Amino acid sequence: MSEQALIERQPRERIGKAGRVLRRILREPLGAFGLTLVVIVVLSALFADVLTSYPPTKLAPAERFAPASLQHLLGTDHLGRDLFSRVLHGGRIALAIALGATGLSLIGGIVLGLIAGYGPRWLDNLMLLLFDAIKSFPTVMLALTLVTLTGPSLLAVLIVVVLVNVPGYARIIRTQTLVLKSAEHVMAARSMGASTARILTVHILPNVIGPILILASMDIPVVVAIEAGLSFLGLGVRPPLPSWGAILNDGFVNIRDSYWIVVAGGLPIILTTLGFTFLGETLRDVFDPRLKRRE
Amino acid sequence: MIKAANINITRRGVLAGAGALGLASLIYSTKRSQAAGSVLRVRSYGDIQTLDPAFRLAAPEGDITNVIFAGLVVATPGDSWGWKPMAVEKIEQLDPLTIAFKLRDNIGFTDGFGQMTAEDVKFSIERLADPANKSPYAGDWATLKEVEVKDKLSGIIHLNKAFAPLWTSTLPTPSSTILSKRAVTEAGGKLGVKPVAQSGPYLLKEWTPKQRTVLVRNPDWKYEQGGYDEIHVHPIEDEKTAELGYEAGDLDYTWTSVSSIKRLKETPPADTVVVEKPSLAFVWLGMNQIAAPFDNPDLRRAVQYGVDRKAVVDAAYFGAAATSTGIIAPGLIGHREKNLFEYDPDKARELVNKAGASGVTVTLDILNKAERLSAAQVVQANLQDIGINVEIKQNDSGTFWTLGSKQNPYYKKLQMVLSRFSMQPDPSWATEWYTTSQIGEWNWEQFSSAEFDKLVTEGKIELDPAKRDVMYKKMQDLMEESGCYVFLTHEVTGVMYRKSVAAGLKPNGEPCFADFKPA
Repeated sequence: MSEQALIERQPRERIGKAGRVLRRILREPLGAFGLTLVVIVVLSALFADVLTSYPPTKLAPAERFAPASLQHLLGTDHLGRDLFSRVLHGGRIALAIALGATGLSLIGGIVLGLIAGYGPRWLDNLMLLLFDAIKSFPTVMLALTLVTLTGPSLLAVLIVVVLVNVPGYARIIRTQTLVLKSAEHVMAARSMGASTARILTVHILPNVIGPILILASMDIPVVVAIEAGLSFLGLGVRPPLPSWGAILNDGFVNIRDSYWIVVAGGLPIILTTLGFTFLGETLRDVFDPRLKRRE
Repeated sequence: MIKAANINITRRGVLAGAGALGLASLIYSTKRSQAAGSVLRVRSYGDIQTLDPAFRLAAPEGDITNVIFAGLVVATPGDSWGWKPMAVEKIEQLDPLTIAFKLRDNIGFTDGFGQMTAEDVKFSIERLADPANKSPYAGDWATLKEVEVKDKLSGIIHLNKAFAPLWTSTLPTPSSTILSKRAVTEAGGKLGVKPVAQSGPYLLKEWTPKQRTVLVRNPDWKYEQGGYDEIHVHPIEDEKTAELGYEAGDLDYTWTSVSSIKRLKETPPADTVVVEKPSLAFVWLGMNQIAAPFDNPDLRRAVQYGVDRKAVVDAAYFGAAATSTGIIAPGLIGHREKNLFEYDPDKARELVNKAGASGVTVTLDILNKAERLSAAQVVQANLQDIGINVEIKQNDSGTFWTLGSKQNPYYKKLQMVLSRFSMQPDPSWATEWYTTSQIGEWNWEQFSSAEFDKLVTEGKIELDPAKRDVMYKKMQDLMEESGCYVFLTHEVTGVMYRKSVAAGLKPNGEPCFADFKPA
């Protein structure tokens, strides 16, 4: 086979593999349900501006507590803001934080995990100590402390999530790197004079990244919940930016005046959490069928 | 089945027995608690941070110190402002400069600090008035000359000059609280949150920060008894949260949010009395004139023109409160009829451009409460409309009430704040906090005017109501002209309590815990 043919074949193989994974996800009822929810959430966040004509921060106190109608699909809140618009735009923030923070955590966890696993013993011990020290803080307390110190903001939420997640990812990468460090193909590469960077990126990373990606997909709902929780307490996204947690808080304090604000704030959190959890679990089963057989 | 000594023990029998035992204990505990009928659960809007009346931070601390320490006199509940003796058997004003008092003979301090004497009165009042002690409430005794001790229980309070608010906002407040001289001296000159040498009708038995303060009846208090054996004070900052707590049955008395008053009056919770009281408190938007960009007077004026006060108040309180014209409420001496600067967004934009501040971003600090957040978001929208971006920073009460304190370096950086002060029925109480000497204490805007300071001093010693009226109106004009203030509202006070409680409320709805009785 010519080199050109090889190059052309690789994307097709990748598409084929992705298609197979997708088909297997869709075969599982919970996986299909999870994927559907995730797609709905992602698309509604992406096309929020198209799906609603109301700006999410526009105040209209005269229209406060309007019930659901064709004009306002989810009604309005105590300041007359359109809840449908706030929920969709809140989804953008939730997903941006969840994907951004999880992505940064992954990068941090992979880099630190590879260094700990492949580096000298003393460095490994030191980094383990650091990971365990951070992990030992209760998440909520750590989040509250950091937000109190830095002030509530999107960035603060991002830092909290990255700090909380990095040690977990790093530990997994480190364990697998330790195993692969003495594997034959790694030893061979080393004896042929491959640099440390090449060994880590070409020979180790591709073999350790799979499980952590699945773990990360299952962490997304946790991050959504952390962001919503902090915003509920007034320590997350600053007003008037829409956040599901802030909408939930608006609903909580005005629950006697209108129940639909709580529903509008709570429902997307539940659906997103369910969606990513089901999808993550199905992905885990797809990539590690032994696990499913054991269950 | 087990047979022992002719007794059949079966599984069903054990279950039935356990059920009967549980039911009996439930009935017993319910009966017992009804028989005691003596725990009152109230909500306060903040937790205690000090028990020293001279350094109290907010009204909830005063509500507690008022019952655990005896003051000379104490405010009475009812629809009109008044007072009644507490530590004194007799107190009378002999002339404008002389007040004679005689203490009750058997008021004791706990923890072995002995009997309350005239020497303790002298110590407590002179300590609060002494500028060296830097009490933010020193102005309550601004014209004190000395307290003369006549004998163990009698004395005379001598004033340098007549003092108009003496019987309204000084004596019936925590500023007349008598502490044990020995206890305070041994504590290093200042009390903290540990209760020592208590002397009132209740004793502070337990304080769990952010959760509750438990007050129990003082067995040694021989005078008018509180109506409950115990009062549990729950600090819940947000009124809306407190409403939910009340409706869940966790509270017997709470203030409601202003925005909920209408709904609660129309459909009150079961067995509940909902009352609306006029409020003397004042809510305003303040700008710190030493912190950029508000060191530019044009920008401060732009904000005054740029905030639609009616929209802010309507949005926050759902139309239940009116806008204000200053810090002195209707009905009091010095109440103004109108503001100097009304909503004019075009003029505001001009001033923003003149100040070269279009697009500037400022931080607005607020207390983390639903109504404040709503008000802040309308302010944010108003100011965005004139070219000023506002970031809202929500603070819990512990943080918020120290933002402008000299002990907190942030007091120089604080830019804009949405705040509320409670009030006593004399205009001097409102203006007291904005003098130059209050910078770093309660004057967070760092407003400073020699003319204002002079009027504050003169207003207290002027006894002619007509002249006082002119003086206090002028003081508010000076405040507004400085550009540091946008006066928003006096609110109204919503209160709800169980029908089984006869609530002891001042005319503005503030509680007198010792005057709560079972109905």
